[in-house]
Amino acid sequence: MTDGDDIEMLAAEYALGTLDGAERASVSARRLREPALDRAITAWELRLAPLSAAVPPVPPPPGLLERLAPRLGGAKGVAETGAVVALQRRVRRWQAASVAAMALAASLLVVIGVREVERQPQGRFVAVFHKDDETPSFVMAIDIDKREVTVRPVAAPRQPERTYQLWIAAEPLGSRPRSLGLISDATYTTTKIGLPIDRAQLQMATFGVSVEPPGGSPTGVPTGPALHAKLIRVAP
Amino acid sequence: MRHGLCRRTRLWHGRAAANNAAPPHWTMTPTELHFLLGKVAQQDRAAFAELYRATAAKLYGIILRIVRRREVADEVLQEVYVRIWQSAHLYDAGKGSVIAWLAVMARNRALDQVRSGRHFIAADDDAILDIADDGRSALEILEASEDVARLKACLDRLEPERRALVVSAYLDGASREALAERVGAPVGTIKTWLHRSLKQLKDCLAT
Repeated sequence: MTDGDDIEMLAAEYALGTLDGAERASVSARRLREPALDRAITAWELRLAPLSAAVPPVPPPPGLLERLAPRLGGAKGVAETGAVVALQRRVRRWQAASVAAMALAASLLVVIGVREVERQPQGRFVAVFHKDDETPSFVMAIDIDKREVTVRPVAAPRQPERTYQLWIAAEPLGSRPRSLGLISDATYTTTKIGLPIDRAQLQMATFGVSVEPPGGSPTGVPTGPALHAKLIRVAP
Repeated sequence: MRHGLCRRTRLWHGRAAANNAAPPHWTMTPTELHFLLGKVAQQDRAAFAELYRATAAKLYGIILRIVRRREVADEVLQEVYVRIWQSAHLYDAGKGSVIAWLAVMARNRALDQVRSGRHFIAADDDAILDIADDGRSALEILEASEDVARLKACLDRLEPERRALVVSAYLDGASREALAERVGAPVGTIKTWLHRSLKQLKDCLAT
């Protein structure tokens, strides 16, 4: 069997659903960094998709939509700030993480993984902050268990008399983004999240990077142009 | 366990009857769904609620069939819609219909759930389910398209027992082990059959 056959059958069984838990988790992670595998899976998903027509619809219990509403990102409170609303519009472009950006984020994770060999594989997420549709400016990795965020500037130009500041916006933290500190010029900036927010809420949070005067935002909220991103799970 | 497999296969073959059913009030055309998803990508909550009302029963049916427990299906369905909210902008119309895209998302999340081993599914757990098998689905009618006909024709060319394995794996989320147990064959044999069937399907669909 060639590698192509292996990928083809792996993709087919992934789409069919017959892989066991470990295989499935491994393929889920691999498809993020292997475009050929991802394409093969998508093709198989499409081939088999018409089969879903054979499943009769079952009305979900009433009230489920209301129950899930608070879990939607872009929480009502956050949306009240005009600046954030404007940013959210731009975020949607940036969120369209390109395959290249995902690969970059994955490579960051590998580096972090090497730096911290002891760490558990659970609860790892990355976020990619895009300057435009193609160029990621920052990549961020977060360890939900340790509540630790690591940011790496990728294509962020150093601006004189300006600094980059990292923010988090999430429903339990109120209507304004909260600062997670300044991003140094060093390759990596690691910071602990000491805010009252639980794991699940953390996963749903929106993160932002804004341009601020030296020393950070004087007002406690982002004042300069900002990039936003949501977390993407990279490990099961 | 063969019985269960046959029952489900009949269900698949029996879907043609749905074509005559009156469409429920939430009928939506693929174009309307596409439009709605576009609004959801712009974080339009009203559009999201409408999309939910139009598609939740379809996705819940798919999820429940795989996870078998309502409390688990409730949670998975919520996760799927949160994901739809977050990733609506990633939908690529060149890669299938909106409903197919949503269904794949629901299936993948349901399969992740059952394969993670977080909850146990008894070999014959059907009693827990009270699935309304009325087949009345506007979406089914919409989906009774060329794609469905082609896949069905290709599935029909597989040997009946192997077709039943593929269909059960897809619809019920049956693992290789579960299929092996049902047909009384070794897991390795199941894997070989699945691979042959999948290759045959791919070739058939490519012609």
